[in-house]
Amino acid sequence: MGNKPFTGFTRISIMGKKSLTKKYIKMDEFSYTNIFDTKGIEYLIVIGFLILIIPFWRALNKPVKVKARYKEVLGVLTPEVLRIPQGLHYCKNHLWTHLKKSGNAHVGLNDLFLHITGEIELINFRNPGERVRKGDLIAKVSQGGKELRIPSPISGEITDVNFQLRKTPNILNEDPYGKGWIYIIKPHDWNNDTHNCVTSEKAREWSENELQRFKDFVAIALKKHSPESTMLVLQEGGELIKYPLAGMPAEVWKEFQECFLSH
Amino acid sequence: MSNSDIALNRENGRKSIWNFLASELKPKGEIFTPFNIISIPVIILGIILIVIRFAKGLGAVTNLTQEVPWGLWIGFDVVTGVAFAGGAYVITFLVYILNMKQYQSIVRVTVLNGFLAYVFYAGALLLDLGKPWNVVNPIIGNSFGVSSVLFLVAWHFLLYMLAQLIEFSPAIAEWIGARRARRILSAMTIGAVIFGITLSTLHQSGLGALYLMAREKIHPLWYSEFIPILFFVSSIFAGLSMVIFEGSISYKVFSNQISDKDHRSHHDIIHGLAKICTITLYVYFFLQVLTFVHGKNWEYLNTRMGHWYLVEIFGFVLLPMILFFYSYRKYNILLVKVASIITMIGIIINRLNVTVIGFKWDAVNHYYPTWKEIVVTLTVIFIEIWIFRWVINRLPVLRESPSWAKSH
Amino acid sequence: MNINRRNFLKALGITGVAMGTGKKLNAASVKKGSDKEFYGILYDSTRCAGCQGCEWECALEHGLPDPDLEDIPEVGKKRETNENRRSVINVYSTSKGDVYVKNQCMHCNQPACAAACLTQAMHKTEEGPVIWRDEKCMGCRYCMVSCPYDVPKFEYFSSNPNIQKCDMCWDRVKEGKLPACVEGCPAEALTFGLRRDLLAEARRRINENPDLYYNHIYGEHEAGGTGFLYLSPVPFEAIGFNTSVMNKPYPELTKGFLYSVPSIFVLWPAILLGIHKATSNKNNQAEEENE
Repeated sequence: MGNKPFTGFTRISIMGKKSLTKKYIKMDEFSYTNIFDTKGIEYLIVIGFLILIIPFWRALNKPVKVKARYKEVLGVLTPEVLRIPQGLHYCKNHLWTHLKKSGNAHVGLNDLFLHITGEIELINFRNPGERVRKGDLIAKVSQGGKELRIPSPISGEITDVNFQLRKTPNILNEDPYGKGWIYIIKPHDWNNDTHNCVTSEKAREWSENELQRFKDFVAIALKKHSPESTMLVLQEGGELIKYPLAGMPAEVWKEFQECFLSH
Repeated sequence: MSNSDIALNRENGRKSIWNFLASELKPKGEIFTPFNIISIPVIILGIILIVIRFAKGLGAVTNLTQEVPWGLWIGFDVVTGVAFAGGAYVITFLVYILNMKQYQSIVRVTVLNGFLAYVFYAGALLLDLGKPWNVVNPIIGNSFGVSSVLFLVAWHFLLYMLAQLIEFSPAIAEWIGARRARRILSAMTIGAVIFGITLSTLHQSGLGALYLMAREKIHPLWYSEFIPILFFVSSIFAGLSMVIFEGSISYKVFSNQISDKDHRSHHDIIHGLAKICTITLYVYFFLQVLTFVHGKNWEYLNTRMGHWYLVEIFGFVLLPMILFFYSYRKYNILLVKVASIITMIGIIINRLNVTVIGFKWDAVNHYYPTWKEIVVTLTVIFIEIWIFRWVINRLPVLRESPSWAKSH
Repeated sequence: MNINRRNFLKALGITGVAMGTGKKLNAASVKKGSDKEFYGILYDSTRCAGCQGCEWECALEHGLPDPDLEDIPEVGKKRETNENRRSVINVYSTSKGDVYVKNQCMHCNQPACAAACLTQAMHKTEEGPVIWRDEKCMGCRYCMVSCPYDVPKFEYFSSNPNIQKCDMCWDRVKEGKLPACVEGCPAEALTFGLRRDLLAEARRRINENPDLYYNHIYGEHEAGGTGFLYLSPVPFEAIGFNTSVMNKPYPELTKGFLYSVPSIFVLWPAILLGIHKATSNKNNQAEEENE
């Protein structure tokens, strides 16, 4: 009858069947088959992977150039940026206090502090009628789990608490000396308490010094806690970017509280 | 803002819980949003189709054949959907095992998503079963088919849903004001997380292992003994891409619930996840190369399927890896989102290639899903999104926990 | 026409049994108790005349519809089993003329379907036949995905769908009777017996008639060995057999994965707990230093 080509399979394409048969060659017991013949190339690929991962990892983790990382941040923190209105007393812990004609003193955080920390949440938990002494804890500032303690600059009795801050926290940054006041306190010993505070012309000079002191603090603190962030905070001219403390870890905030603010 | 206005007043006793839940069922917000207008007709049509499917059999609604018994519902709803739900185990791994607290704020929403995904995709699986009433058989003990990978996958699904429920339950406790329950459940979190990560490893790879016996039925470029490992590794970046994608949508839609500081930190979160995706994609690319070399599949490259394979590997694995790398270095959030969408499409392509496109690729009548199968799939997804929205609007998932719970 | 043909075949069948030749190897009935060996069926293509008697007997035995008289084996048309028929005859045009082949479940020694079935609805009996059990089946169709021969067929248009598959007439075998197709074959193309004996018989036929048979018993090693064995006059690719089926059992492909599961269940929690402790210590130490 001669060899007729088989026409048996209509449901499976010839291409598919043939290609599979080539791939799944049955191991018979009559000729040589090496089941490990790709192992050599595989090991080479693995070595290539391991070698390549070194530059890959390094390129991924190179300290980011500030220009790229903080592209969206506009400002640089220089003394000229700070608002330092006259007539207020600027105290330790970067609080300001202003004795109004009514005899009560407004208390709040100064602009330098706010420019250093950035977006914060202020918790003024004292209530009207409470008595505080200079140095007592009157408020807490927090940012994503990091906290700072705010002690009172003067002694006296709290007559009012700014509840507006809880509803619209951004007035703290926008108008720290006006609508962003934190407490109104009836002072018991105004002159003694504000003896060490800075006023008027001295305030600007003092702020410049504080800014410089802060730069030094940043350099030391970052070296200690997170060396790779150093590049994030200082630009080419050695100037600070806006809100430098915002991106820093909690350890740096602790140091800020203990070493910087308490001086 | 805080939950005090909707929290349960415990002094009123049992009756209040029912009143509270009943009041929570009422819809909040507008009825006629664009999403509602699209999803409601689809859901209604889908329910009708499901009724037809049970009355007249699977053949009335699907294009499944004797040669291709698993189609869109298994290949997409179950296999791809579960890959995308992998974000839950990765994020809980980062937060609870590696103690990377910067991702804490997205844990709850990711676990919620994962839980809903598994519930709905297991539900979709019930639609696909021929005799769904017998689904209790492998559970209640008279028919343990322990030799079956599907047995393992089914059990893991159940246990994992339980683990995720425990991980999420503190949010439920906060919602109904059950303080003691919340304390107890929070203490169980780390155990549930460890259990969940172990289960996830096994069932993500298990979904791949399901196809190991279909050796000659799947195209050689996608069939190998390494399918389980490839599925597991790809579930990592699949889950994270879904977290990025879904997070971007949620943070816009529910932005009124999210505090300003959470909004700002969200970009940092996306940025960090981009780095993890970069590395995982790099590793996955090399695993694919190794699989290819091991399978000696060179001759298949110059075929139609071979070209499609190259598109999948280079266009949807290598390309997003490069995009993630670049967007991480340049802190370009938009590019991260683009990369994550490309990655997600790549995962869909890969899973469908193994389960549907590459399965019996050489059959004369190739399988393609009917419009009815697609509608039912969409129905499942839309109902899931409805439930997700309901939960987000009522429970402390994106919003802050009530003050009594914060001290944790 | 219908009834006459069936009666004719039945008569032939009964005659065959009465003659008691070649259908059953050894008078040994199904043994009860331990030391059971697999039974199987040997199919010899050289003897098959394509009468489709096996199809009719099978349909009769299992309550399936009679085979369609219009649908007879034809060269170039591949007939498949489906939810209405568990066994079909095909014909192929080969170098040695038209060859008939009977297709049905292969009853593998280590079946992929039984390993795949998570409810144990697909079950390899100790006697050899692979059966399907209705009360356990979930309809998940994983057996269909796993079978290298695409044997199980699903009733897609039923609201309570069953799987249809040859079960080697397990109920009859248990009672010591022959499977319906074996009993109904007038040409003695089908032989029932212990797999061991059938292999020996097949070897014998090949050795005694080397010109008649192609020197290979399909099912001896394919898929790790099957209960249905085939003899053919031509190479098996020519008569539609899947020759890329591997020579080891298909469940071995998932063995590696399944065997590693307990190890991972033990290792992963230990490793995760360790990492958790290590990283939480690091955090605590950092906090203590700053106090």
